[in-house]
Order: sequence, then C-alpha cells, then structure tokens
Amino acid sequence: MIFLTVGTQFPFDRLVKAVDDLVGEGVLAEEIFAQVGDGAYQPRHFQAVEALDKKAFDGYFRDASAIISHAGMGTITMALDHGKSLLVMPRRKKFQEVVNDHQVGLADRFARLGHLLVARDQTELRDRVRQLGSFVPKPRQADPEAVTQRVLRFLNRWETSGGRSPNGFVS
Amino acid sequence: MRTTQSPKICLAASSGGHLSQLRKIAGAWSGRSVFWVTTVDIVNRSLGDGSRVYAVGECNREHLLRLVSVLFRCIYVAFKERPDVVISTGAASGCLMCLLGRLGGAKVVWLDSITNVERISLSGRLTRPFADLFLVQWPDLAERYPGVEYVGAVI
Repeated sequence: MIFLTVGTQFPFDRLVKAVDDLVGEGVLAEEIFAQVGDGAYQPRHFQAVEALDKKAFDGYFRDASAIISHAGMGTITMALDHGKSLLVMPRRKKFQEVVNDHQVGLADRFARLGHLLVARDQTELRDRVRQLGSFVPKPRQADPEAVTQRVLRFLNRWETSGGRSPNGFVS
Repeated sequence: MRTTQSPKICLAASSGGHLSQLRKIAGAWSGRSVFWVTTVDIVNRSLGDGSRVYAVGECNREHLLRLVSVLFRCIYVAFKERPDVVISTGAASGCLMCLLGRLGGAKVVWLDSITNVERISLSGRLTRPFADLFLVQWPDLAERYPGVEYVGAVI
C-alpha cells in the first residue's frame, strides 16, 4: 500500500488528481490509501478520507511501502525517521496551494541530498512513481545537540555577564 | 530588580514545524524558567512540561487584520511576563515576540526554520537586525548573510 497524504491545513487537489490519473492509466499498480484534506476533487481509483487522527495516520504511515505527499516538513521528517521511500510534489503559490514557494527549494535540496524523490509537476510525477519502488532514502544526519550547545553557551554567557542591559523596562 | 541570575525565557514558535524544531533544542533551557508562546490552543497540553503556554492565534502576511489581533495578544504576554531572553524559530508571532522582548530589553535568539533553503524566512529577515544570536540550518545561508551562524540542523 502507498500512503498519499497532503496534510490537513490546505487541500492539494493537483497532487490527488495526478495520482488518481496515474492509477487509472495503470502506471501506478499498487494499492493507494489517501488522506486528502477538504479538497473538491474526488479520486475515482482509490479510497480517500479527509482527515485521520494521529493514531490512524501513524498506522497507515508505518504500514505503507512508500509515501507520496506535498513537500511539508512534517511528512518529510516522519518519512526520514521511519526510513520510508518518499515522493513529494511541492505546493505552489501560483495555484493558491500555499502562501509562498518555500516547498520547491526545500524539496529540491532534500532530493539532492538523496533523502527523497521530487516531482515538480504531473509529468515528472509519472517518471518518479516508477522509481519509487526501488528508491532507498539516505538517512539524515541532523545535529540538534550542536544547536542546543550553542544556545546553552549563549544563555550561560548571559548569566555570567549579569543579565539584561540596564535600559530594559523590567530592571 | 530581579535577584536571581537565571533568565526568564520566552519560547516562541508557531504550531507545527516551527514548534517541533524549537523543541528539538529543549536541552538548552532545561532547569530554567520558561514560558511558551504558540499559535493554536490545541498544542497546549502536548507541551506538557508544566510551564505556561499562551496561544496568540494564527496569522501571516495574507491576513493583516488577524495580525493586529495577534499583535495585541503578544503585547499582553510581553508586558505580563517580561522575558529576559526570547528564543524563536518563527514565524510571524515569533518575530513579534522577539521585537516586543527586545523593546523590553530582552536578548533575542533566532533559529531560522529548516524549510528556508534559498534564503532566510521573511520573519527571520525582519528579526535579524536586532537578534543577539541568529542561527540558520543550512551552511550556505550563513555564508551569504553576515552575522549569521550555522552550527548544525535540528532535523
């Protein structure tokens, strides 16, 4: 089963329809289950729900052989944490799918690092779904501890220097 | 005059990705006095560390009227709590808390969200001129903006 998810904040009919078309054409043979938000488009070739609670969402995510989604950081992080093959299509401002085009750069960067596959549009999606079955995501090497230590060092320096400037309205 | 040397820290982040990134560095303020400012009330209980949580509402550049309502709530929180340090990952309300904290003499720490790959976020660019520590999560951004540091990514 491939889990298609677009998040709950805004619909993303362009992706849902593109996947539906690929299933209809037989390009995507695997079963699809989808969480589609409150979009207007009704997929004809797979089961879709508007929203899932966290437990159900986690279940579908865990059971899926691969994930198709928008390029939201929540889904990307979750896929990397679970070592799932992920194919994203970035939401675009010009289609009123999002307030800015940050998903484009984000998806391209993570794709270049080998963490996921990216399809810019419906045409690219057709090629990428063929690669999805054999794609092995590269694990991400994040370093939250380095950032924690940097902020900790800043706070420690604040404390040893005696705190806020005398100009503040609190003193 | 506050007698303790331990700062009161405001942790400001929009619900969702901004908040989860900020929580990744929770070790930085463990044992210190903190309160949270976030956007949606639903996350209050999940923060669960017993510290105060204020929900100031969602806003962005598309909804200017809502921005005014969020601004007033942020002003209320800033005056009530009077933080010594504001740490934020954004977005708009995080930027407001940084500015209001700064006006009250607080130090400002900004961690720009990892989703900003090609340039620093709008709220980050607005905060940068008065931030005391400005961190990004992509090394090339730190090279392009003076005074900006990269030490790693949190996710």
